[in-house]
Amino acid sequence: MQAEVEETLKRIQSHKGVMGTMVVNAEGIPIRTTLDNSTTVQYAGLLHQLTMKAKSTVRDIDPQNDLTFLRIRSKKHEIMVAPDKEYLLIVIQNPCE
Amino acid sequence: MPISPANSRKQQNLWLSTGPQPKKSISFISTIKGTQTKGYSGANQSRMALSKTLTIAPEIKAEKMSISTPRTVIQVIDAHGVDVTPRPLYHPDPHTGTAKPNKLLTSREGSFAAEFISSYSLYQNTLNPSMLGHFTRSVLGSSIVSKSSVSTTESIAEDLEEPSYKREKLTSFTDLRVVRATPGKIVTKEDLEKTIEIILTETETLRFFNLPTVMVSVESEEAMKVRRRNKNYETLCRNRLGNDLYAERMMQTINGAPKNKDVQCDKIVKEDKGIMSTAWDLHDSYIAMELSSLPAKQSILDSCGKANVPSKDREQRVPGSTTEKDSEASSLMDIENVILTKVRDDEVDHSETILKSDKFHQDLFFMERVLMENIFQPKLAAYRQLPILKEPEPEKPEDFQEGEKLEKTEEEGQKEEEEEIEISTGQSTIPANLERLWSFSCDLTKGLNVSSLAWNRTNPDLLAVGYGHFGFREQKRGLACCWSIKNPMWPERIYQSPYGVTAVDFSIGAPNLLAVGYHNGTIAIYNVQSNSNVPVLDSSESPQKHLGPVWQLQWIEQDRGTTGDDKREILVSISADGRISKWVIRKGLDCHDLMRLKRTTSSSSKKGGEKEKKGEALISRQAPGMCFAFHPKDTNIYLAGTEEGHIHKCSCSYNEQYLETYRGHKGPVYKIAWNPFCHDVFLSCSADWGVIIWQQENPKPFLSFYPTTYVVYDVAWSPKSAYIFAAANESRVEIWHLHISTLDPLIVHVANPGIKFTTVLFAKQTDCLLVGDSDGQVGVYELRNMPAALDSGRVRLKNQNYMSFNNFSYNFVSYKEFTFLRYLKCGAMERT
Repeated sequence: MQAEVEETLKRIQSHKGVMGTMVVNAEGIPIRTTLDNSTTVQYAGLLHQLTMKAKSTVRDIDPQNDLTFLRIRSKKHEIMVAPDKEYLLIVIQNPCE
Repeated sequence: MPISPANSRKQQNLWLSTGPQPKKSISFISTIKGTQTKGYSGANQSRMALSKTLTIAPEIKAEKMSISTPRTVIQVIDAHGVDVTPRPLYHPDPHTGTAKPNKLLTSREGSFAAEFISSYSLYQNTLNPSMLGHFTRSVLGSSIVSKSSVSTTESIAEDLEEPSYKREKLTSFTDLRVVRATPGKIVTKEDLEKTIEIILTETETLRFFNLPTVMVSVESEEAMKVRRRNKNYETLCRNRLGNDLYAERMMQTINGAPKNKDVQCDKIVKEDKGIMSTAWDLHDSYIAMELSSLPAKQSILDSCGKANVPSKDREQRVPGSTTEKDSEASSLMDIENVILTKVRDDEVDHSETILKSDKFHQDLFFMERVLMENIFQPKLAAYRQLPILKEPEPEKPEDFQEGEKLEKTEEEGQKEEEEEIEISTGQSTIPANLERLWSFSCDLTKGLNVSSLAWNRTNPDLLAVGYGHFGFREQKRGLACCWSIKNPMWPERIYQSPYGVTAVDFSIGAPNLLAVGYHNGTIAIYNVQSNSNVPVLDSSESPQKHLGPVWQLQWIEQDRGTTGDDKREILVSISADGRISKWVIRKGLDCHDLMRLKRTTSSSSKKGGEKEKKGEALISRQAPGMCFAFHPKDTNIYLAGTEEGHIHKCSCSYNEQYLETYRGHKGPVYKIAWNPFCHDVFLSCSADWGVIIWQQENPKPFLSFYPTTYVVYDVAWSPKSAYIFAAANESRVEIWHLHISTLDPLIVHVANPGIKFTTVLFAKQTDCLLVGDSDGQVGVYELRNMPAALDSGRVRLKNQNYMSFNNFSYNFVSYKEFTFLRYLKCGAMERT
C-alpha cells in the first residue's frame, strides 16, 4: 500500500508538464515536495486560505456538501489542489497545448 | 505627610525645642522633604545630640533640619514665635482629635513648650525606620555643620538618601509585609489545554462615593423636620444682623496639602476570542454532538479514573464552551481534541499516517486522472466525439461568422457528419483515414505482444488487454492489464503471471470479473474491484483443465429453458488440445466439455489433399481449436475454427457431431466473427493470408480477400455499419468498406517497421479502433472522414466482376449476385 502510494506519487511527478508536486500538512509544513522550501511554504499558505474559503462557500450553500477538488487555471499553468482536513495535495502543471 | 517643602522655610529662623515627652505618644516632625520620622525608640544618645544642638540653636540663622528622638517633640517656631510646626493630615488616634484644637490655640500664643501629641499611623512605618537612622546620624553631624549655610540642608538631605541599615533594628517592624513571590508553578501542557472553568460572580457593592441628597421629597416623613429646620434657619439668618449673639469672626482653615497617591497594579492581560459562525459550522457542531455523545462518554469514563460525575459534566459543557474558546473557523477541532484526549502524535508520525491514509491514496488517484485529462484533453475529446469549438478570430468581420459557427457547433452533433458528407461527396478532398489519438503503453508492457483485447460490458471506459506471445518458442512472462480511458499512461490493474496471456474477457452478469486464459492452459478469474493480484478462481488445480494454450475465452449468457433458470452465464473456452469447454462457477470452476474437435476427414471429394492425411498415422485425433464465435441471436449455435482451416458449426446440444463444416481456409483460422447486423454472415481470417466472408447456409466462401502476403491475425466487424470491418495483419491494419469496394480496403494503416499488428477491437460508442501490436502498445485510432452509409440502394455491381480470386467457379456468379443483393438488404438495418 505504501509502495503503491510512493509509486503513484513518483509517476505524477514525472508526468509531462508537471512543474511541481507538494504534500503539506494542516500546519503548512511540507511532507513531500519537489520544489524549494520557500516556494512550497508560500504555496501552502496561500492555497490553504483559498481552500478554506472555497470549502466554506460550498458548505454555506449546502452544509451536507463538501469540497473535493480545486483547480485554478491561470495564464501560465494550472494549479490543482486536493484538500483534506489533515493535508493538502498540490500539483502545478503546465499543460502544453 | 503635611510637610511643607524645606525651601519655604529657609527664610525663617527655626528654633528647636524639646520638651518632656510622655512615653506613649510620639511625634516626629521634620521639615525634611517628603519624610517624616516615627517610631518608638529607646535611644537616648540622640537626645543628647539634640541637646548639643540646642545650645547652638538660638544663633542659627540658617534653617536647620533636625531630627528628634522618639522621646522628643520638635517644634518649629518661626521668628515671631509662632508655632508653625507642620502636622500630619492623618490622625488615627482618637486622642488627636482633642489635641489638635489645643495645639492650634497654643501655637497662636507662641508657647514654647507646647506639646504635640500626635501619633502616627502604622502604615507610615515603612518610611520611618530608615529615616530615623538618617536623622540621628545627621543630628550628630549637624552639630558640626550647624553654622553652615543653606548647603547644609542639601548635604543633610543627601545623607538621608543613604540607606540606613544601621538603625533599622531600632524600630519595631510592625506589619512589614514582605511579599515573597511564590515559586512559579510549572505549567504543563495538559494544564494549558485543560478546560478551566471561569465563574463570574457579582461582588458586593463597593461604595466609592456617597453624596447624600440635599433634597427631600415633600411627601417623605422627614419633610416636616426638614421644613422646621429650614424655617429656623431662615429666621436665624434674618435675626443675625445686628444681633449680639452673633459676632463675626475669622477662621483659618487648614489647607491640607494634597497628596497624590498612585497605585500600580499588575498589568491586566486581555485576550480576545472570536468565532465566525457559518451555516456549515453549526451543522457540523450539531452532527458532532450527536455522534460524540455516545462514544465520547465511554472514552472519558475510560480515560479518567476519577469520579464520573464531574467528568460527565465537563463533557456536557464541552460542546458549548468550545465555541467560545475557538477563534478559528471551525469549532469542531477543539471538540475532537478534548474528547479524544489521549493520542498525541509526533510530527513525524503524523506525516507518515497522512501518506499512508486511504484518502491520500484516493486523492492521488484522482490527481493522476486530472493530470491525464489535461495532457490528453484534445485526444480524449476526439475520442468522446465532443464537438470542436473554434476560437473566435480577432478580426471583426470574421467574428460574426465565427460566432455563428460557434453556435452551430454547439448544436450540431450529427449535423457535422452531414456536412462532412456533403464535403466528401462534393469535393471530397480528405480521404478517410485513421488518425492516431494515443496509445496505451507503459514501461511494464514494453516488448510484450498484445494478444487479446476486451471491453468491459458495463463500463465503456475500461479495457482489458492481455499480453503474451503466440508462438511456442517466444514465450515470455505474461501480463493482463486493465486500462482506463481516463488514464492512458498507467494501467488500473496489473496481473502478472509467468505464462503468456492469450485470451481475456469480461463477464456480462458480474462485470467485475475478468477471465484470463494462459498459454499453459489455465484459466483464472480476477475480481477487478479489489486491488489484489490473486485470482478469485483458478483452473490450474482442476482435473479437466486445458492442456494447450487457451486461444479464446468468452462469457455467454445462455437461456436454460429446461432447468427453469433465467439466464445463466457460462464461460466458454477453446484451446489447442481440441476441446471446447464450458466452465461454470459453482463452488469452484466446474468444467464440461461442449465439444471435442476431431480431425475431420473430408467427405467431399473436392479436398484432394485431405485424403492423404487419412492414411497417415495421426498423433492425435483432436484438432486444435483456435477460435469460436457464438451466434448473436441463438446462443446454442456456435462456430469453431480449427488449426486445420476448417470452420465447424456446432450446437451446444450435440457434443459429438458438427452441424456443418465450412472449408475454405488453408491455414489455421485465427478469428471468426458474426456480422452484428446481418446474422447470416460471418467473417473469418487465417494464417493463409486471407479473410473470407461466409454465409451460414453456404459451406463455400462467399467473398475472400487476399490483400497481402502476411498472416492476418485478427478481424472485427464495425459496430456501426454492416459493411465495415477491420483486419489486422502483420504489417498493416486495413479497414474495408464493402459498400464502396470489395477489392481494396478503404483505409490502410501501415505499421512501423518491426512491429506487427496483432489485434483489433472497435470501440462501441465512438468511431475509434483499438489496435494492439507486438511491442506492447495498444493504439487508439479514430476513423476520420468515413463516408456515411447511404441508403442500401444501388450497388455498383459492375465493379464487382470477380469477387474473389480462387475457389470460385463461374457457375456461382449469378448465385453470388443474388446473394449479394440479399446481403445488401441486410444493410438496410445498419445504423449510421
